[in-house]
Amino acid sequence: MCAAARTEDLMADKRRTLAEVVATIPDGSRLALGGNTLHRAPAAAVHELVRQGKRGLELVKTAGAYDVDLLCGVGAASIVSAGFVGYETVFGLAPMYRRAVEAGAVEAREHACYTIIAGLRAASQGVPFMPLNGLQGSDLIGLRGFASVRDPYSEQDVVVVPAIVPDVALIHVQEADAEGDARIWGSTFEDALMARAAKRVILTAERIVDRAALAAEPERTSIPGFLVDAVVEAPRGAWPTSCAGLYQYDEPFLADLMAVATDSERLARFVDERILQAVPVTA
Amino acid sequence: MTSSPATSPETVAAQMAVALARLLRNGETVFFGVASPLPMVAALLARRLQAPDLEILTLPGGISPAPGELPVSTVDPRLLDGAAAMVTLADIFDLSARGRLDTAFLGGVQIDRTGRINMSAIGDPRRPKVRLPGGAGSAVLMPTARRTIIWRTRHDTRTFVDALPFVTATGNVDRVVTPLAVLRRIDGLLTVQSVHPHSSLAEVRASTGFPLDVAGAGEDVPITPPPSSAELAALRALDPTGVVAAELLSR
Repeated sequence: MCAAARTEDLMADKRRTLAEVVATIPDGSRLALGGNTLHRAPAAAVHELVRQGKRGLELVKTAGAYDVDLLCGVGAASIVSAGFVGYETVFGLAPMYRRAVEAGAVEAREHACYTIIAGLRAASQGVPFMPLNGLQGSDLIGLRGFASVRDPYSEQDVVVVPAIVPDVALIHVQEADAEGDARIWGSTFEDALMARAAKRVILTAERIVDRAALAAEPERTSIPGFLVDAVVEAPRGAWPTSCAGLYQYDEPFLADLMAVATDSERLARFVDERILQAVPVTA
Repeated sequence: MTSSPATSPETVAAQMAVALARLLRNGETVFFGVASPLPMVAALLARRLQAPDLEILTLPGGISPAPGELPVSTVDPRLLDGAAAMVTLADIFDLSARGRLDTAFLGGVQIDRTGRINMSAIGDPRRPKVRLPGGAGSAVLMPTARRTIIWRTRHDTRTFVDALPFVTATGNVDRVVTPLAVLRRIDGLLTVQSVHPHSSLAEVRASTGFPLDVAGAGEDVPITPPPSSAELAALRALDPTGVVAAELLSR
């Protein structure tokens, strides 16, 4: 009993406030964003990036929507490395991303989703690049400058994608313990891979649970705490995107955002009133 | 869309969905990705009709789900409902890369006569006039899946163009299903396989920015069979809220 209590004391408590943990992210960082399109985006962390006025961020994601779009809309992003950016059939093209790219304020580094995955895999495996089968005939090879190498065994050429090493992975999960062990309900998308590729991992969690709750079914923990630097309790932290098992994406809110997205003044007011003031600074 | 005003988006969507569903074979693997309501409906419909053992791979990873309510977003967690197994998106690309994905459904903002697609940009891709969403998985899936079926809810000369400003993806395109027709790639070129009942060969040709031959001999173009009563009943049971028409209605 006494020994157990001491062990608990020695375990790293990685719980932080959103404000303090986002303050550790420098301008110009390369951020991997968890989730996919309208689902389980790390929105609470994104809102805090906006609140702190970050600049020059590179965003890495296979398919982004609100998170990528908003960070482009407020001028926080400079580079978007993604396979797809849009609100799917629900709202179509991402207006803030589109406007920023067309104005030259944001560089769209278009990937195929698989080349993002390949780059993250290379990073996670500690190798400088990853060969892949795909892209034959695509202008993306030239646009991205993807090289080919000769397979020394078969003498065939193969396209190689450079490692993508995020400075920080921002991932929203349903449950995590204080040490950062995290359980994602439903689809994990690229999040488990991002947690293995990034230099640092910051989690937001719908709720912090006891370690014992996770230990009952460790096979459901897709991100082990030893990979995680900080965990923030953030209920509804994926809002306005969905969080599997808990809530759907907030279509009326997103419709309101779409209505002001390309008007700088109205967007600034919307971000202030409907996002920053509506969301508690630290959950 | 240039079909006659008497044809409702719901009618066109149902025609497209059954045309897509009929192309799927029992026992094969099929994938649809982001922003793909019509392929989602088509794949789930095919499982209720001629292809009960179709293996449907979804972006969120649910395999052959049976969602009670169809989502408009095809990344939605509801695409795990009723699935007995799940994989990751990376697993699906890996499957295609090693030659084991039978059919991929892919979109295309612009399509040329050889079935190449542009999903990236209008104008200079480094400083585009219009930045498009990006090709998502298409640049990998089109050349590696055994067969690609393209669908597009617009059929006009801005969509079917003579020259693409950017080739996002090219590869094993078999069919292109539009609001007006089913096109088939034969000897590397898109040709008209059938024209939907509400359209005509003249309309299809006038709406296409490159010359289109008719598959087979002569100018006798088949009519795409309209949805049968069994197909319509299965569609209504699957999709009572009309998600099938979401793409056509969002235009």
